[in-house]
Amino acid sequence: MDLARLPNDKKLQLCRWYFKVGCLLLPFVWAVNAIWFFKEAFMKPPYDEQKQIKKYVLMSAVGAIAWIAVFAIWITVFQLQRVSWGATGDALSFIVPLGRA
Amino acid sequence: MASFNFLILLLIFSFCRSGNLQRLHEKIYSSIEGGAACFRRLNGTHQTGCSSADNGAVGVVHMIKDVTDAHWLMENATAGPYMAVVSTGLFYDVFDLLFKQPDLIAGILLYDNATKSAPQFSQDMSCPNDYSAAEGSSCSAGGVVWNPKGTGLLRRDIPFPIFYLPESRSQEIDKIDECYQRYNSDKNNQKGRPLCSVQLHSFMFAAVNTEVCLRRSASSALLTPTKVCDPLGDYNVYYSLFPRTKDIKNKKVTLVTARIDTASLFDGVSPGAASSVVGMVTLLTAATTLSKMIPIQDANLYDENILWTLFNGEAFDYIGSQRVAYDISKGTWPAAAPLTVDDINLHVEIGQIGGALTKLDLAWPLYAFIPYTNVVPEINEFVNTLGSNLQHNISINTEFSSHFPPSSLHSFRRILKNETESAALPEVLITDHNAEFSNFFYNSALDGFDKIDFEYRNITVDSSGTFISTDALLANGTMKEVDTQVKIARLATAVARTMYQRVAGKPYSGNITASAHLVDEILYCFLRSQACRLIMAADYASSGGAEEKPPERAAPLYVGVATWASTPPVFAAHLLALLTGTALSANRTQCDALDVPGFSQYWLRGWNHSGVCMQTTMNISAAISPAFIIEDYDLKSGVYSTWTESVWQAMWARVFVRASGAGAGAAAAAGAGATLLAALLTYWLQRHAAIIFSNAPQHSIVNDDAASGILRTVNC
Repeated sequence: MDLARLPNDKKLQLCRWYFKVGCLLLPFVWAVNAIWFFKEAFMKPPYDEQKQIKKYVLMSAVGAIAWIAVFAIWITVFQLQRVSWGATGDALSFIVPLGRA
Repeated sequence: MASFNFLILLLIFSFCRSGNLQRLHEKIYSSIEGGAACFRRLNGTHQTGCSSADNGAVGVVHMIKDVTDAHWLMENATAGPYMAVVSTGLFYDVFDLLFKQPDLIAGILLYDNATKSAPQFSQDMSCPNDYSAAEGSSCSAGGVVWNPKGTGLLRRDIPFPIFYLPESRSQEIDKIDECYQRYNSDKNNQKGRPLCSVQLHSFMFAAVNTEVCLRRSASSALLTPTKVCDPLGDYNVYYSLFPRTKDIKNKKVTLVTARIDTASLFDGVSPGAASSVVGMVTLLTAATTLSKMIPIQDANLYDENILWTLFNGEAFDYIGSQRVAYDISKGTWPAAAPLTVDDINLHVEIGQIGGALTKLDLAWPLYAFIPYTNVVPEINEFVNTLGSNLQHNISINTEFSSHFPPSSLHSFRRILKNETESAALPEVLITDHNAEFSNFFYNSALDGFDKIDFEYRNITVDSSGTFISTDALLANGTMKEVDTQVKIARLATAVARTMYQRVAGKPYSGNITASAHLVDEILYCFLRSQACRLIMAADYASSGGAEEKPPERAAPLYVGVATWASTPPVFAAHLLALLTGTALSANRTQCDALDVPGFSQYWLRGWNHSGVCMQTTMNISAAISPAFIIEDYDLKSGVYSTWTESVWQAMWARVFVRASGAGAGAAAAAGAGATLLAALLTYWLQRHAAIIFSNAPQHSIVNDDAASGILRTVNC
């Protein structure tokens, strides 16, 4: 979908919709929303709905970054500590590595 | 142009034809067949053995022909990592060096060379099974070091794969040597040249320890329900002279034991001639002889019974004997009529007695280890009786010591501590060494039939299964007094007579002796070929009548994993049934339907291969460590054997010439260059499209014409 061809009210509707869907533990939707509407929110000449779009884009971006941070920390901790967690580490593993700890 | 294309096509076709339709893969690699790989085993706390990486280990071939080659490898080599190709004769001189810097070594290819055979070769510990030793009998804590030739590799986590090529595969070594001479001989200029290399693949699934691998095997992951390890274990075999049922439990028993299994670092190569086979064969022959001396019909005349037992898995912290001792302590062994500790008058273990057997010496000095400080009358009487029955240069000396060699006595002394140490259950061990092992190949791949000087005589057995007596064989010159078969038969006769005296209370006066002919046949079955007369006769008769011939090589005596029954205990059990059992005149259906307390019936092939119903008191019991049957057992506690064996998918080795690396480097550089060039060119073309295409649109003008108008109406 080409945003350039969408009327402004539809843009706002779409951006809000993406933000709401992202609230259902779907950070990737937030990330898409933030990137997709970034130009609309910050680089286009001002229009009525831009302020609201800006709000949703910012919230989506912050949310997505928070999620990424949480994931990054968990993945780092898991990869570093899986072996020392023993049985818990194995239970949390989807694919247990063969031939090593 | 067309003729040029045609020429290329012709060229391709001509290449295909000259290639002899061989696959490219086969042109590059030459497979090394018949190798045996070192594999991974785990216990409660550690992993031991070898594993390659998932895609194998690749190393430049280096033939180690003397110690200086090994030194060169560790100090001056430049094109590493290397694959060290070592003969067994040289292994002891170089293995320490090779293990010092494992980064330089991709793997070891070990081969047996008859002309430079190893004078010693044992990968077991210098103190075998020391962690399962009885209290006060630990060899590492100041006792006798039983196996000074032991390198301990069997219990070590080896950082690279090791493959073993037996003497029969020497042509593979010749192939590698030829390749080595051709490509690698200029040792000082190896870097950057094409080099002869070997790839070893023996990737092991299990890791860390038994606890981890069993947990991973049990957890059913959604995607990969992979079993990564199995507990070691198999079957113990036991046979009593008289039937034992719950009703006639008053019969006291003498427990005579030996071990079936041996071990080695390599998969499928564990001959165990001197380590275990001589002891087992002595027990089988003695049991057979005693069953002829005392007919089973006379069972009611005697108060004492003999229980002959073969333990399995003894090489790995006494799996079989730990289980039997544990079951006795719980009152569950043997299953049909459990023994109590009080029922056992004496426990005699026929330990490792093959190391001193040689055809150069008539003498066969044996030692009775008596682990008591005070005199135990039961043992004294036994040793004296045995001594009086031994003749012909076989002698027995007593060793009173709380330090006694690796044997099932250690299990009984740990698990039935009170009874064994107080001599309520007196125990004695017979070996052929009074200090360190006389066998220099303990639990190794080289412990073959030649180590006990066994030469098969191949004497036919008549259809009634009678064996020629030892004296007759000596008289007609078929065998000599120094022969291994004769010595074992003499010892078996003495053991049988001693047991007779224990049962009957008087010395044996008859003329039944153990036959060296029988010993010859049993040794052949366990050391040379499974397609032997005894196994063919003792096997189950197949229903279709078709005879499946077993392979013409010895079955490995490694205990293996508990999920698969290996052949040696089955052979031993069937031999006992055939040799000591009573042949009934019943047909197959009647035989299978028989149910006599204290007996079981086996429909075996028989000596004339027409099928025979053997009634026997022989039975088998699980030789699986108590560690795996006790619920919530702490695998790290070290009380019972916790050995498991890793699962693997494939083991293979191949030799090939590895490219110098210059070609690959050039290809990578050219690829990167081409990509960069293409990117730059594209960018330039886009910027300057107007120069090339006269009516091209200007770069900055947005394409905004009729087409986008159409799109707009499509509402997206």
